[in-house]
Amino acid sequence: MEEMKETYIQEANELLENLESSLLSLEDNPNDKSNIEQVFRVMHTLKGNSSMFGLTKIAEFVHDLETIYDKIRQGEMELSKEILNTTLASFDHLNQIIHDSELSEPKNQENHVSLIAQIHKFINKTGAENTNSKPSVTTTNVSVESGALKTFHIHFEPNEELFLDGSNPLFVIAELAALGKNIIVPHFKKVASIEEFVPTNCITYWDVYVETTVDKTDVQDVFVFVEGNSKIEITEIPFIDLIKNSAFNEVVLASIFKDLKTDVTSIQLLAESIGTKVTAVKKVEAVAATETKTENKEKVVSSIRVASDKLDELMNLVSELVTTQASLTLYNEKFETPELEIISENIEKLSRRLRDIAFGMTLVPINNMFSRFQRLVRDVSDMLGKEVQFVTEGGETELDKSIIETLTDPLMHIIRNSLDHGLETPEDRMFLGKPRKGTVKLKAFYSGISVYVQIIDDGKGIDAEIIRAKAISKGFLREEDVLTDKEIFDFIFYPGFSTAAVVTDISGRGVGMDVVKRNITDLKGTVSVESTVNVGTTLTIKLPLSLSIIDGLLVEIEKVNYIIPLSVVNKCYEVNNADMLHNFNKLLILEDKQVPYINIRQEFGYENLKEDEKSQLIVVSDGDHEVGISVDYIVGEYQAVVKPIGKYYKNQDFISGATILGDGSIALVMDTHKIVELYTEHVKMEAK
Amino acid sequence: MKTDVANENNVGETKSFLSFRLGEEHFTIPVMKIMEILEVPKITKVPQSPNFLVGVINLRGAVLPVIDTRIKFGMTQMEYTINTCILVLSVEVNDEPLVVGALVDSVSEVFELNEATIKPSPSIATKYRADYIAGMIQEDDHFMMVLNIDKVFSSNDLESIAETKDAKVEE
Repeated sequence: MEEMKETYIQEANELLENLESSLLSLEDNPNDKSNIEQVFRVMHTLKGNSSMFGLTKIAEFVHDLETIYDKIRQGEMELSKEILNTTLASFDHLNQIIHDSELSEPKNQENHVSLIAQIHKFINKTGAENTNSKPSVTTTNVSVESGALKTFHIHFEPNEELFLDGSNPLFVIAELAALGKNIIVPHFKKVASIEEFVPTNCITYWDVYVETTVDKTDVQDVFVFVEGNSKIEITEIPFIDLIKNSAFNEVVLASIFKDLKTDVTSIQLLAESIGTKVTAVKKVEAVAATETKTENKEKVVSSIRVASDKLDELMNLVSELVTTQASLTLYNEKFETPELEIISENIEKLSRRLRDIAFGMTLVPINNMFSRFQRLVRDVSDMLGKEVQFVTEGGETELDKSIIETLTDPLMHIIRNSLDHGLETPEDRMFLGKPRKGTVKLKAFYSGISVYVQIIDDGKGIDAEIIRAKAISKGFLREEDVLTDKEIFDFIFYPGFSTAAVVTDISGRGVGMDVVKRNITDLKGTVSVESTVNVGTTLTIKLPLSLSIIDGLLVEIEKVNYIIPLSVVNKCYEVNNADMLHNFNKLLILEDKQVPYINIRQEFGYENLKEDEKSQLIVVSDGDHEVGISVDYIVGEYQAVVKPIGKYYKNQDFISGATILGDGSIALVMDTHKIVELYTEHVKMEAK
Repeated sequence: MKTDVANENNVGETKSFLSFRLGEEHFTIPVMKIMEILEVPKITKVPQSPNFLVGVINLRGAVLPVIDTRIKFGMTQMEYTINTCILVLSVEVNDEPLVVGALVDSVSEVFELNEATIKPSPSIATKYRADYIAGMIQEDDHFMMVLNIDKVFSSNDLESIAETKDAKVEE
């Protein structure tokens, strides 16, 4: 049961996430029918799931909420800001109570009651409106929006074992009743004797007549949870005004007592004689309805849920396959058997494709995260009294799921900062000649093997002079230091650095930006700021596409293989060792540029360079600088599956991991940035 | 602490143990902790790492750190022989499982033993750190040390291990 509950919560979380994004886009386009449908569908599923697990309080709550959207869907009600606010509040509440289905916390109980009251207010409001317009059956808002009235005869005969999977046929009946004016006729199957009566069997079946504006497919939707194990016959009778007709009622009710199987054709005939014919059925509506249905179905097929540890396992196996394949290629090169070559090439092709697919599976679109921020922006800007347009771009950009998880908090912090400190109030913006509504843009795009995420606002920008003054007053900087703007902006990532004059609820305590930077560095990413006063601020986060695979340059130092990430490699040169050994200021002139270099043999404590030999100098970029790193040989390019080398080596953080080469040996992956850091520290120590 | 084997009052369980040699000394660890035994493959040394960390090896696609048990126990490093092998151990450090390779001179045998026959051995604490040794057992005419491998290979202990090593150098 615990496991089932977990499944329920997991699904509910997903549904709620879905719901939130639909709600937020509804806010922008209140008339978007497909979104309303989406909201309705999600609520419906959630309700179904909840009642299936016996969480009646949640189910009832969602049912009430769903009723509002049903009415909106039917055109009986207008979507208003108040409804949306209540829905969002309900959404928050649902997020709470899926973990507390019995409302054991007083706060939840309180919320529950007040939200239900609000929801009922909305529902009753429209109810009142509806009774006013009842005399004329075809009120304009009904017929125009969702097709003409018609009557359905529904024969619903649940399987006897229906109760066993937790379904309740009465929910279905109640839902049918909600569709419009109705007659519900229950029948009971004969049970021979009380001894044979099994209380867990469902022996009731129903005939329902309902006069409604919805289409047959919508009626079918009601049965979505009982479809599999029940006999359901839905017949459309193109007549109305049957329900109130006494002759009709008499015939129908008679069937209860006589226990007749209601004959569909006789009902049709009866209807013809007494009902009012519905002239035109809106075909287009019906077609549209089926279309959304099929689309829905496709969605179901296109994705399945897979536990993430299974994915990790798959990734491991694929990496192993890639390694094994590399050794096969190596073996073949040695013996050059033509037949083997063909096989080896085929395996290479296959494993490459398999690798791409497997890696692709661990990537998820960043959109999942973006939609979460929409809500944040809405709430925070409301609280601050600022008007904000939140734009996302490149949501389809895919990133490793673990990166996305770690990135959420830092991004949330940055966006809060943009809203709080970046954007001005509407009045100030008008005064400056800017549009009243500020814009915060979240943008993601690929570049090489990196993914860039930018947070761009058109607010007041950051004044480099103010940051500078603050840095000096905090003692991070001396008066006479000359820095570029970029270097000055970097101070906002210093611990304890905040320029906000007033500490607000939302941001400004100066904790945060340093944490943001640390989180991003942990992901092997970098973050930088650009800003122009009164034009806006752009914060750029650069991240590796995936933590586990990199393109690298395979080099050799003292017979040990190392991988240098290709993303930092600029150029390679061949240099005489003598030039490096007898060099006073550790600078080489390469193509008219002075390049500082690191003698890695010395740094790693290996035997020093031999005077009369040559080394390869790999020039890598380290932030804005270039640094040369000397290696013995360059072996070639290598696509490396990076694996952790474990806790024992936590003090050797200039090695960021290891990879297994085609011959089964291990190459160590260098973190050039850390090597440069290590070297500068080392030099400083020597200077002292 | 996990292997509370030193308790003599208990009618202990019978468990399998594996014994191995470092120089002239015999050691033993519960078989349950050993995942496999390997010949010594090519070992990649990580630069600037402590002496007892011989490097990393490829264990069927995973990267496994290998510790030279000799250095760790303050003995001198030896050339590898045909008998030298790596015990792949699953240890627990701060409640987290950690897989590590331990380089030993040779593996002797697997035997069954009632835990109750393991005796505490205070005298040994002078040579090895007391918390590394869970107890002693007598086999015919020689003694064997039962190792508390969770302690021996806990990576948090890097500094104290260095102490052991330095102490040996001073001797």
